[in-house]
Amino acid sequence: MSYKMWTEKYRPKSLDEIMNQKEIIERLKSFVKAKNIPHSIFAGPPGTGKTTAALCLTHDLYGENYRAHLKELNASDERGINVVRQTVKTFARTRSIGEIPFKIMILDEADNMTRDAQQALRRTMERFTETCRFILICNYSGKIIEPIQSRCAPFRFTYLSKEDQHTYLQKIIQKENVKVLNEGFNAIFEVSGGDLRKAVNALQAAASLGRPIDTETMYSVVGRANPADVQNMMLLAMKGNFVEARNKLREMIWKYGLTGSDIIRQIHIEIFRSSLPERWKIKLAEAIGEIDFRLIQGSDDEVQLSALLARLTEAGYDMQRSG
Amino acid sequence: MYAAWTVKHKPQTLSEIVGNKEAIQKLTNWIESWNKGIPKKRAALLYGPPGIGKTVSVEALANDLKMELVEKNASDYRTADAVKRFAGLASQYSTLFGGKRLILLDELDGITGTSDRGGVRAVIETIKNARCPVVLIANNAYDPKFSNLRSYCLLIEFKKPTVLQVARHLKNICVIEEIEADERALKLIAERSGRDVRSAVNDLQALTQGRRQLTYEDVAWLAKRDRKDVIFKVLNTIFRARSCLEAKSAIDAADVDPDMLFQWIYENVPHQLTDAKDLVMAMEALATADVYRGRIRATQNWRLLRYVFDFMTAGVAMSRQRTKPSGWVPFKFPERLRWLGRTKRDREMQSLIGMKVKRKMHVSSARAVKEILPYLRVIFEANAEMAAGIAKWLDVDESMIKYLAGSEGKAKVILGNLVG
Repeated sequence: MSYKMWTEKYRPKSLDEIMNQKEIIERLKSFVKAKNIPHSIFAGPPGTGKTTAALCLTHDLYGENYRAHLKELNASDERGINVVRQTVKTFARTRSIGEIPFKIMILDEADNMTRDAQQALRRTMERFTETCRFILICNYSGKIIEPIQSRCAPFRFTYLSKEDQHTYLQKIIQKENVKVLNEGFNAIFEVSGGDLRKAVNALQAAASLGRPIDTETMYSVVGRANPADVQNMMLLAMKGNFVEARNKLREMIWKYGLTGSDIIRQIHIEIFRSSLPERWKIKLAEAIGEIDFRLIQGSDDEVQLSALLARLTEAGYDMQRSG
Repeated sequence: MYAAWTVKHKPQTLSEIVGNKEAIQKLTNWIESWNKGIPKKRAALLYGPPGIGKTVSVEALANDLKMELVEKNASDYRTADAVKRFAGLASQYSTLFGGKRLILLDELDGITGTSDRGGVRAVIETIKNARCPVVLIANNAYDPKFSNLRSYCLLIEFKKPTVLQVARHLKNICVIEEIEADERALKLIAERSGRDVRSAVNDLQALTQGRRQLTYEDVAWLAKRDRKDVIFKVLNTIFRARSCLEAKSAIDAADVDPDMLFQWIYENVPHQLTDAKDLVMAMEALATADVYRGRIRATQNWRLLRYVFDFMTAGVAMSRQRTKPSGWVPFKFPERLRWLGRTKRDREMQSLIGMKVKRKMHVSSARAVKEILPYLRVIFEANAEMAAGIAKWLDVDESMIKYLAGSEGKAKVILGNLVG
């Protein structure tokens, strides 16, 4: 019996196994052929294969022993300038042994690096180009400072199409012997968007229940796995049950470790998806923007979001009165 | 519907009273002596600190002995005239229907006049002519205004029960309310209340509102120095103030930690200001106060603290425009602090698991907690075999397995799979 998380078990090893992002993969393959790569930025939404592409590229360049030539750093965990000064520099300046003279450094979630750290990184990239090539991975390349962007080849990853996701999941389903009903596939795509990591995790969690996966199973798994029941919280507030809504908020923040910005992003999405009168959506967007700005400035997540919930309570009240 | 536990769980018979066995025996003996004729002392004066069961004892006694209880408290006999109005009742032992009567004058401390004038004088007159037992209750029997009165009364002292006795009483309530409570938590509540049973029961209710469990941590954060009664007073001022200055004065009046006070106000705003418009104004005032707190943190300029105070006191007070007065709404304890205490272990556990996931799955530990851990939870709850494999692969330990599985039982099955 050997179980892993399927996202790892079925993560492509070589560029040849990646089915989507065709143009990007073609260009990366040409780097492998030339045995040379430029500093690169892989930008795009989560679960679209950025990290996988970087790992595959490295694998194809160096062969099975590629780990010896690679360092992976996640900027969310180590985002300060000291990491760049020490860890990155130490790794970057020593020469790699073998046919290819440089090593590869993957900086994941690079858009979470502080500006100072990015400035320091820029100099490091320049000085040690001979011995180390950087692949910066991020959701938005806009959060990477200009001088770094201008030194890197940009690659934009996009969400997987429904067909691509389907093909990929089909492979897992056959190997793992899982039964997914047709509508189940639709549900997986619905809940994941084109985020393949989310899709595979949801699929595995649903499969762990040990019954054929239909729409209902899929939604219940995602519901259970998604502590940010933002929709429900908003509904409570608008129905006038502010105290309950605030308790939901507390659960998200204190029990499940969500940040204020996670929650407010989802509130923002939900407002525009909702069936509220259109002019209310704009009114509320203004309040949301203001609160979001306060969060950026360092105000307290819970207090500020509570104030937003009170706004929803008021909106619900006004709407009811105006019929 | 809110029912105060001090009322709901009030002892109905003497055997349920907390402590004070000796005093109660003395009181019972005296009442029973009336059956053999009018005793030398026609009144008994029960005295002792508040909240330890003086009134409740008399009520329970009347109940046990099937006597008609005529209960009067301070507002009924503030002046001599007021006392005379019911003095007649005391001049007959039996009621119209043949039952025996017991007169109770509660809260005697509130009476006006001196030892031989006004209200006290009238009470003494009533006792002299009494043909049924008259029980008086006061906190301080040795107040000079009672000096004459004392000689007409049998003095019975009520003492504070022990911490253990109070805790046991709380335990009984928990059993009835189906709350699973840590013994140490109950002892701490008893201790913190200063062995005041009434206040301990109120605290218990406030601390367990809407839940089935009470842990030591839930109680422990209640720092001694931020005494609840001081905070309640401040909250009262703020939620009732009619002017900004009045609301602001609440802060100066009390030596309370401002952050703590903020949490108390923040907790209670939705309970006190129930109108949607008032609520949004008050929450916005608190949010503004919070913005200034952020600015203080960022600039370390404490001069800005005055604006924090403005918005959290006056800002909240002036939000009350449309909420209709609805009688007394009990103040709630700040849940935030309890959430923090309760979930601290959870959050530590999550970040430990996040580190394990990060090592294997090419994501940051923060993202692992947010995006992967929830699915692990589903798997660990549903499928022990798959969970065991993943546990081994991630190299998570027993406590992490227990956290992910959500229960001890499920964790055991997973661990069994791991070995097998």
